[in-house]
Amino acid sequence: MNKKLAILLILCIAATVYFLLPNDEKQIRNNLDSLAKYCSTAREEAALVGIKKVALAAKLCQDPCDIEIESRSIARSFTKKDLTDHLLMMKRTMPDTHFSFHDTVIEFPAENSASLTSTLSLTGQIEDEHYTDAYEFDINLKKIDGDWLFSSFSVIEFMEQ
Amino acid sequence: MDISRRIRRFFFPSLNKKYFLRLLFLGLSCYLIFSYLLIPLRIQGMSMDPTYRNGSFAFCWRPRYLFSQIKRFDIVTVRFSGRSVMLLKRVIALPGDIVEFREGLLYLNGKLIDEPYVQHRSLWNLSPRTVAAGHVYVVGDNRGTSMSRHHFGQVTIQRIIGGVLP
Repeated sequence: MNKKLAILLILCIAATVYFLLPNDEKQIRNNLDSLAKYCSTAREEAALVGIKKVALAAKLCQDPCDIEIESRSIARSFTKKDLTDHLLMMKRTMPDTHFSFHDTVIEFPAENSASLTSTLSLTGQIEDEHYTDAYEFDINLKKIDGDWLFSSFSVIEFMEQ
Repeated sequence: MDISRRIRRFFFPSLNKKYFLRLLFLGLSCYLIFSYLLIPLRIQGMSMDPTYRNGSFAFCWRPRYLFSQIKRFDIVTVRFSGRSVMLLKRVIALPGDIVEFREGLLYLNGKLIDEPYVQHRSLWNLSPRTVAAGHVYVVGDNRGTSMSRHHFGQVTIQRIIGGVLP
């Protein structure tokens, strides 16, 4: 009985250590969740709060950051200022919108670089009409001074009209 | 054993090893069934209106195309990077078919197709295009929105996760 208890205790400690210790994958997932939180716009969000959130979102990205959205004919590098300007504009055109990432798969192709695929889900209200949308993203990250920063985003267009 | 005792035992079983094993088996079975075979879907959006309305529930039946081929007008689930967020669409054309929209009406291989499931229709115009091998052409039933706001087009068959129940 004591042996069984000891094994159970060791397993519990191992699980706790695993969940509490920081690692690259956890940091990347946290950054992705933070990005979604900062890009989301609450109903009647104060302008200052929006500016602060946008600045925090840009802080998570490398300067410059490549963005490619084929359906919108966007494929270029965005400086931090470009990013904050575009995010602020997006917040104005899409008030009351919630961003969330799902089904994220992370790979580490080389040291200090990571690539992930994830599904961005958008839900919100525009002119009292509920809307939802989703996009699959291919995202690259680089580890700079111990922090994982987003270096590129590209939308995977798997549906061709 | 009298009936009241049976009922009591059914609702308040003794918490022994057998009970916990049964509970574990039930939990595991539910996890496997509802994660891999019969995935619950909460419909968000109007893309398949009126067949599937916003806020309604359905299931994705994954083994649907295990032993059969995808047929025209089947409703299927299309995955993004995983199975948490999926698109619900109707297959309107198979590989080799020529798809065209004229004034909101669907033409398949040059023939006008009657679509009784479409109730909201905008004047979509799409020039004829051939569905590539290994792909199917999917569209939502709600054609009331503009073409630019509707996710539709040809998609590789590997992206089709399964059929939809009911």
